[in-house]
Order: sequence, then structure tokens, then C-alpha cells
Amino acid sequence: MKKYLPKILFLISLVTLAIVPSQSQEKSKITPYFQLQYFKVNDQEAYLKSTLSYSMNRMEIPLPGMIISFFAGEAGNEPLASVITDEKGVAKVALGSDTKLPLNGDGAWSFRSEFKGNDTIDGADSELAIRNVTLEMTLSEVDSIKKIGLKAYTLQNGKEVPASEEAVIVYVPRMFSLLPVGEASLDENGTATVDFPSDIPGDEKGNITVIARFEENPNFGNIEKSVTEKWGIPTSYSVPTTHRALWTKTPPMWMIITLSILLAGVWGHYFFAIISLILIKIDAKRKKDKDEFLA
Amino acid sequence: MQADRKLLNELTPELVHTSTKWYVTFFIFLAFFAVGIYALILQIDKGHIVTGMRDNVVWGFYIVNFIFFMGLSYSGALISGVLHLFHTGWRKPVIRMAELITVISLVIGPFFIFFCIGRLDRLHFLFIHPRIQSPITWDVIAICTDLVGCFIYLYLSFIEDFAILRDFSELNVAPWKKKLYKIMSLGYSGTEKQRKLLLNARTIMAAMIIAIAIIVYSVLAWIFGVTLQPGWHSTIFGPYFVIAAVFSGTGLLIILMWIFRKVYHLEEYITKRHFVNVGVLLTIIAAFYGYFTFSDYLTKWYGSIKMDSILIDKLFNQYYSLFIFANYIGILLPGIIIAYPKFRTIRNITVAAIIALIALWVNRYIIVIPTLETPFLPIQDFRSDWIKYSPTWVEWALTLAGVSIFAMLFMLVSKIVPIISISEMQERDQNEVMK
Repeated sequence: MKKYLPKILFLISLVTLAIVPSQSQEKSKITPYFQLQYFKVNDQEAYLKSTLSYSMNRMEIPLPGMIISFFAGEAGNEPLASVITDEKGVAKVALGSDTKLPLNGDGAWSFRSEFKGNDTIDGADSELAIRNVTLEMTLSEVDSIKKIGLKAYTLQNGKEVPASEEAVIVYVPRMFSLLPVGEASLDENGTATVDFPSDIPGDEKGNITVIARFEENPNFGNIEKSVTEKWGIPTSYSVPTTHRALWTKTPPMWMIITLSILLAGVWGHYFFAIISLILIKIDAKRKKDKDEFLA
Repeated sequence: MQADRKLLNELTPELVHTSTKWYVTFFIFLAFFAVGIYALILQIDKGHIVTGMRDNVVWGFYIVNFIFFMGLSYSGALISGVLHLFHTGWRKPVIRMAELITVISLVIGPFFIFFCIGRLDRLHFLFIHPRIQSPITWDVIAICTDLVGCFIYLYLSFIEDFAILRDFSELNVAPWKKKLYKIMSLGYSGTEKQRKLLLNARTIMAAMIIAIAIIVYSVLAWIFGVTLQPGWHSTIFGPYFVIAAVFSGTGLLIILMWIFRKVYHLEEYITKRHFVNVGVLLTIIAAFYGYFTFSDYLTKWYGSIKMDSILIDKLFNQYYSLFIFANYIGILLPGIIIAYPKFRTIRNITVAAIIALIALWVNRYIIVIPTLETPFLPIQDFRSDWIKYSPTWVEWALTLAGVSIFAMLFMLVSKIVPIISISEMQERDQNEVMK
């Protein structure tokens, strides 16, 4: 046995070397993260959005330039469009008012998006069933208290069916993101009221945009309704003109004075040294002339 | 202008004769320099991708070298200015080396900025579109001012020697050198008026270059200090940089004293006393430098600002060896060697100086690089080579080219003027006779 041990070890090494690359090749194929979402803004702009990405070192890396196919219908086989993902790995399909979408047995729209995959990335698909909800928002003021009235319903056989027990979040857009100002759960009538804070700055006229949203709702998707009203505190955003600051074209006076004094002081002494050199040269010439004259 | 014949005979042979060893050494440095030039051409052709600098760490070896060489320059100015102003008795054999360190380093240092700039074609914008508010503009003004001042100061200290060499008829040098001495001496013959003019100019320029050195190196420190980067945003960076510069310059001065003493057989002029005196100066500055270093890191550590804490954590883990070498060994070891009379030999003092000099370069490295590797905002699509700096051979080659050109310029200057000032030494001899 001892005699054959090196040969056995050599064979095991060869087999290992042959297996490891094939495993690593299989592993190198990316399993993507694929998501389908539905969005509707102010009952007008509706669209489907698919995001294709993968995870590396716990970071989400987008997959741009991939073809995503969108379908509608209960069987998910009625093609809507094929879209190439952008640099964020996102593909969008607008659902115009003229797009005829078939309803499934539950009275909802069925959507499906699909990525077929390629040599390096696995294929993936995602499905979604959405009820067409209408979100209404009315702004009123009762006893100096600003109130946001919310109502949501779906239409079934031409009748309004309240969207009860669903969460709606109210936002106000700020400089970098949306500021949440209230949240409500719709009652059995599909209605809710949210008090609006009285201390939110608006534009110069006090205008402020109030946004109500269903977010990632499993029945309705992402629905947004926005209304602009003079509910904010009028705020002037004009920046006073600044002169002679570090960030303007003209430097501060103290900086110019300090630099001038420093440079004048230093270069003044340089000139003194240079003049001394010139005087040495002149004196040397005089001495030479004198010596020549005496000689 | 006449000088002591013994002095002339002992200090001028190097101007006349050049040994084979000198040529061999010079060509070794020239070879390093040529490799550096090749690396530079490659960098210009391919771009900064051939260096280790990336999106986050945009300042690498080049800026470290720039700070290092500028520090050597300012320290040379400070040391020579102070020694001249205070008429320190033992200064005479070493003052010229300090002056030469000033000018040569100042000429080399800014080249590393050029290597670091991605768009050299826009360099002239610094001069045609300057903004006084910008610390970069301060630096450009400061370096230009310093360069002019140091050249004037160096020239003032050379005039008497040029006159002595011009009038030394037995000096058998090339005719161009004789012509050079004649032109550069400005006809100086040592009359009372000329002496007075020269002394006044030298004294004023000595005071000026001390002030300029402090201001200019502080400006360089403020380029770091005025940013909000962790590790850089410090009010003591100005004086800290100045002290560190003097530390490195003193170390280099000792090394050069040892080299020229050995190579040019100047044992009679550069004695153990000089090594001990400059060594003691190194120890005192090491103490100040250590104090500033400790103070800087202590306040950052105690402040516990998130980014400072991350940086200090990085210094004590990822950069542990470099940090310990730069801030403990580099500061304490030279002090220990020089503080104990038993260890105080010329060789030991030189070894201490070499350690101090390398430690100071490493200190510059751990000031610049780890901070840039600690960004405020994490970058997306993280790749380690985007955030972790690792110098390439191109940067090493250009660094060695910088050291080589420094050595070559020193060697060349020592072939034109004596490395020990004859006029200064003559003054010493006259003073001793008077005593």
C-alpha cells in the first residue's frame, strides 16, 4: 500500500484539479435579484418597473443592458413590451390609458416580467396582481387645524368598493427627500383623516405639496396622489449677496491685506539684498578703476 | 582676495581632481535617475493608471516625497539661518551643507507635484487664474518666494568663496570654472564697504529665510489642516510640520557631514564635536516632535469623533508597524543614542540620523495615505484597489530618481565650490589668532 501511496495521492490531486475548475465555472454564473413593481401617480401616469441586479460583497450591483420582457393577462403570456435595462438595472413600461389590460377572475390585472438569462447570468421572472385603486385626497381647514381627508376605492361592476384597512402615508417633499408628516389606516369606508402640522415651511407664497401614498401595497402596488396648497409658512430662499467671502470670486479684505503685507515685507528685503549686490559690484568697479588709474 | 594657504590646499583639491569612485557613484545615481525618467515617460504616456493612485487615494508617494523634500529644504534654511544669526562658533564647517540642502531640496520637491497632477497642460492656470483664497495658490506663491529667497541667500554665502577661488592663482581648474568664479564674485575684493554690505545682506536674508521657512511650511501644513479630512483637520499641523521638517533636515545634515567627512577626508574640519552638537540639536527637536505627535493623536483619540476613531484604529492595526517605527522608534531611538555619552560616537549618531530621516518619511506616509483610505462616504461598487493604496514600481522609480538627483546635484556642486566654506573657516582662524 505504502508503495502505491504517492500514485494514489497524485491521482487524487489530478481529479481535484479537474473538479475544482468545473465547480468554480458553475459557481461563476450570477443568480440575479429580479423585482416587478407597479406605479401610478395622480391617476394618470401608470407604469411597470423591473429591477435586475445581483449581490456582491453585500452590495447590490445593477445589471444594465439586459432585455426584460413584460407580459399581461392571467396566463402571463400577452406581451406588452421588451425593454433594455438602464445603468441602474431598471426597465420601465408605461401603461397608457389606451392600453387594454385583461382582468383575471379576481378582478385584478396580472403582470409578469421575464429575464431570459445569458451565458453568465441566470434567467428570472416575477409576477404581480394589481387592483386598480383610486386614491383621493381633500385638504380642508377646521378650527384652524389643517386636515387631510383620504379616500380609496376600487370599482367592481361599476360600483365603488372601499379599500379598507390599508395603510396610507402622507409626505411633504423637502430638499433631498420626502418628509413623512402622517400615517393613517383606512376605515371600513375606505376613508381616513390626517392632521397636517402647521409649522412646515413652504415656498415664498406658502405653497406646499402634500403627497399621499400606498407603498408596496400587495393589492394596489405603489399609488401616489399629490395636491399643492398654501399650507406652508411663506419662506424666502433668496441668499443674501456675499462680498469678499472665501467662496466668492473676491477674497476677503483681511486675506488680501495679510498677504500683501507678508509679500511686501519679504520681497522688500529681497530687493535690499539685490541692491547690496549691485552696490558691491559698483564698489568693485570703482576700486578697479582707481587701481588702474594709480598703476 | 587672499585666503589662508593651508585652508585652500586642504579644501580645494576636490575642485581640481575627480576620483574614479566619484564617477562610479555618480553613474550609479544617474542610472537610477534614468529609470525614473523612463517611469515618468511611461506615466505620461499611459496616465496615472500606472501608479497606485485611484479615486480615493489621489495622493500617494509623490505628495509624501513633496512634503519630505520641502521639509528638508525648510529645515536647511532654518538651521543655516539660526546658526548664522546667532554666530554659533561650530557652525562654519556645516553651514554650507545646510544651505545646499535648502536649495537642492527646494528645486527637487515641486517636481513631485508635477508628477501627481493628472493634467499638466493646465498647470499654468495656477498662475493665470489664481484665487487668493485657495491654499494651493498660497503654496505656489510661498514656494516661488522661498525659491528666490533661498537662491539669494545661497549666492550671498558663496560670493566670498568665489572671490577667494578667483584670486587663488595656483588653483588648476578648468577655464570655465575660473570664468565662473570671476563673474559670480562680482569683483568682490573684501574692502570694508563690501564686507559691510555683504554682512548686512546676509544677516537680513538669514532672518528672512527663517521667517519664510516657517510660513511656507505652515502653508503646506494648512493645505492639509484646512480640510475636514480625519487626521488632517488639526490646528497644530502648522508648527507640527515645521518641527518635523527641522527633525528630518537635522538628520540629513548629520548624514551628509558623515559622507563628506569620509569621502573628502575632512576629519580635521568636521569633528566629533560637530556631530555631537548637531546630534544634541536632533535630540531636542525629537523631543518637541514627539510632543507634537503625541498631542495630535491624543486629542483625536480622546475626542472620539467617529472618523478620527476609525483612522486611529486603522493606524494601530493596518499600519501598526509603520506607526510604531515612525512615532516611537524614529523619535525615541535617536534620543537614546545621543542622550547617553557612552553611545555618542560619530557612527552611532549617523545611524540615529538615518533612522530619524527614514522614520520621518514614514511619518509623512502615514499622515497622507491612511486618511485618504478613510473616506467620509463609502463608495459604491466597492473594490479594494480603489480604496487601498499600494505604490507601483513607477512611483518607487520616481522616488529613487528624486533621491538620486539630490545626491547628483550635491556631488556636482561640491565640484564647483568647496563643501566647507573657506571664507567662514578663515574667519574662524582669524578669530582664534585674535584670541
